[in-house]
Amino acid sequence: MKIIQNSHHALNRFGLGPRLDEAEKLRDPMAWLNRQIRQAANAEKAHFSVLPSSLDYLQRESDYLTKRVKQKKADNNMPSRDVENTAKKKTAQQIGFRRVFADAFKDEFLARYTWAATTPSGFRERLTRFWSNHFAVSLDKRAAALYAVPMEREVIRPAISGKYEDLLIAVARHPAMLRYLDNVASMGADSRLATRQQARNKNNRKLGLNENLAREILELHTLGVDGGYTQHDVTEFAGALTGWSVPRPRQLVEKKPTSAFAFYEQAHQPGTRTVLGRRYAESGEAQACAILRDLALHPSTAKHLASKLTRHFVADQAPPAMVARLAKQYLNNNGDMSAVYQTLIESSEAWDLQYQKLRMPDDWLVAAVRVSAINIEAYLRPSLDVLAKMGQPTLTPKSPAGYADRAVDWSGPDALFKRVQAAQMLAQWVGRDRDPLMLAQSALGPELEADLSLSLRRAESPQQAYALLFASPAFQWR
Amino acid sequence: MLNRREFVMGLSAAGLLSGFSKLSLAAPGTGNRMLVLMLRGAMDGMDALRPIGDSKFSALRSAITDHADIGFKISSEYALHPSLTYANTLFQKKQLLPIVAVAPPYRFRSHFDAQDCLENGTDKPGGARDGWLDRCVRAMPGSEGLALAAVMPLIFRGGGKVTNWSPPLRQAADDGLLQRLQTLYANDEVLSENFAKALQGEQGGMADSNGMNNAARGAGQLTSMMTAAGGFMSKANGPRIAFVEDTGWDSHRGQAAQLKRKLAELDAGLKAFNNAATSIWSQTVVMIVTEFGRTAALNGTAGTDHGTGGVMFLSGGAMSGGRVLGQWPGLAANELHEGRDLRTTTDMRSVFKSIAAKHLNIAESAIENQIFPNSKNIRMLDGLI
Repeated sequence: MKIIQNSHHALNRFGLGPRLDEAEKLRDPMAWLNRQIRQAANAEKAHFSVLPSSLDYLQRESDYLTKRVKQKKADNNMPSRDVENTAKKKTAQQIGFRRVFADAFKDEFLARYTWAATTPSGFRERLTRFWSNHFAVSLDKRAAALYAVPMEREVIRPAISGKYEDLLIAVARHPAMLRYLDNVASMGADSRLATRQQARNKNNRKLGLNENLAREILELHTLGVDGGYTQHDVTEFAGALTGWSVPRPRQLVEKKPTSAFAFYEQAHQPGTRTVLGRRYAESGEAQACAILRDLALHPSTAKHLASKLTRHFVADQAPPAMVARLAKQYLNNNGDMSAVYQTLIESSEAWDLQYQKLRMPDDWLVAAVRVSAINIEAYLRPSLDVLAKMGQPTLTPKSPAGYADRAVDWSGPDALFKRVQAAQMLAQWVGRDRDPLMLAQSALGPELEADLSLSLRRAESPQQAYALLFASPAFQWR
Repeated sequence: MLNRREFVMGLSAAGLLSGFSKLSLAAPGTGNRMLVLMLRGAMDGMDALRPIGDSKFSALRSAITDHADIGFKISSEYALHPSLTYANTLFQKKQLLPIVAVAPPYRFRSHFDAQDCLENGTDKPGGARDGWLDRCVRAMPGSEGLALAAVMPLIFRGGGKVTNWSPPLRQAADDGLLQRLQTLYANDEVLSENFAKALQGEQGGMADSNGMNNAARGAGQLTSMMTAAGGFMSKANGPRIAFVEDTGWDSHRGQAAQLKRKLAELDAGLKAFNNAATSIWSQTVVMIVTEFGRTAALNGTAGTDHGTGGVMFLSGGAMSGGRVLGQWPGLAANELHEGRDLRTTTDMRSVFKSIAAKHLNIAESAIENQIFPNSKNIRMLDGLI
């Protein structure tokens, strides 16, 4: 056990790494952490306020799709059953989408990384990234692509210090999640919409329930896979969630909606739902809300979230005593996350040097950018590219389970080799007037050991020294 | 004084033997190879291989199946999806063997748990911290494994002689930098071994990646990886077991278009591997697996939800193919698992065991005691090779 509370540890273990001189200026690490727990975050809001809202994106996407349909009708003379052409057409359409919205994606990524690179509130940033990965939405699904990065800033950032049930509900109502997990198309078998379409539909196609969102909320967002729910609970919960959707195409075309969320009574499965033995009366939109609030306060949820938080901030093998402590705080405070964070920073395990966590590529890159003041705006494109090649394309985990959070997943031989290559790239972006040894001191403080110091002094060039720092073992761990 | 490379390799070999001193080990130098291609997301077995011989099939899937183009009829009972043109060619050459109603021994429809179960090779998720392919490599002294993935998958974790590879960054590695880093990493308990392996690869061996990268340029993701796999495995000291993974199979919605595209990619990937591995094709088994099948009936959005029994494809010149194995359990309501999914009638491990024994020539004692412990009741599936 080696418990040390100092500025460098605060900035590295709880933040994204120090900016130059940030550790020196930090007199009271605990106070710094405490302030961030209940911070109003006005500077943060201002930084992201320039970006469009999800509703704006829904509108723009609708306009794009309308144009697209017209275009297709115009030049659709050649029906093709050849599979290759279909695949090419589909790819062409997707490139079309990504090209049209390329500026939007660029602006979103730029805002995200410039904030991460310069924020004085590293702990808040880590928490935002943690919850963002917990509620993972992947950019590779086209229907959800425009909304994934906005979800992180619109819904997660403002809610990290409140009650978990509020964050949970806000995420479940966001277009990113509703589209990603197919709830927008789900309808109750006995809903008015299904009944009407059944009558009209010549193919007799069965329209109905999609369980995806319900399952992932139970398995990933709340109880956890061993949390004690059954298939029946999944189906019932899915029924309650029917109707939770986004504005329909016609409303967007007529430019009427005032919210990115819309509840469709006609798609909702009528009746009482029973989830985990509790009955929820039919109450339209509120039915699923009630279920979500109960899920948020379930003991399995407390344990699940406590485990994940501990694993994220302390060690891959989460110390059980700490997990139990956080779970207890969570339940005693009705899911108030601030209380949990308080216990997190006050736990001796979080400051114990026997525990360490490997930086994932995204955090690693940001740490290098922060300490060496790389102009992330100038190097945004290659930064995103290198993250993808390291196995962590931004917000594209390809699974609602998000990116894995353990050393073993990021430290295979090829992965380590890629870090060296990436470190060399980043080293080229550092301004020439930065003293490598000063950077190392700033980044690592007391963790800067003699062997690294010596290596830096003997480097062939400042650039090689920067690469050495970024690729060194000490810079991979926090 | 051993040079750095020999020293590191010596360490690895010593580590290999210590766990198996009492068991008879596989005969070296047989040269038989295996490629495992894992389709993450639960590929719909009933769409990839249509059970046209089951009278219930049509009604269950008519909304998404164009019966005018049911695909390639490989028997009176089954038809391959129309996208699987190359697979059909292989079937006609007796180098493709589908197995129906197969799944890992797990029943609760979570992707992540089911994949864990498939990869760890036991009867439940979390049943082992290492993967069965790693245990195979450990039972094959002198052999290596290769995962073509940016992140080492569970199936190959466990400390055997396995590396992973993904297409490299364009940045050339600075030798001076690497040397300095090696000294630093030697003192990192957790990372030193893998760092040493990384440098070993840099000197030639596994990571002669530029050639692979060039060959695969312009092709789709899966095709690139399959081409690279074929290239690596064809080398004289190449890996005897390799692993490739693919995502995008979770067809909850609009399945017809999604699987038309995905199965075409799969087909192209299979062809690409064959093209890149012609010299070893006759000694190779390709095993295409997925974590479970999907619901027999469609859901409300022209897709299917998570199910149980699925399909597995074995391919390669070493296969005794041209027929369909497994026991079809039926699609009547009372024949389905929990009234919704195709039942599983073959535990995937019986196929794994059979290939490990008959193709990789791993001793049965190693298979029963080390690779698939506590599975005596799971008998090898006969007649695959």
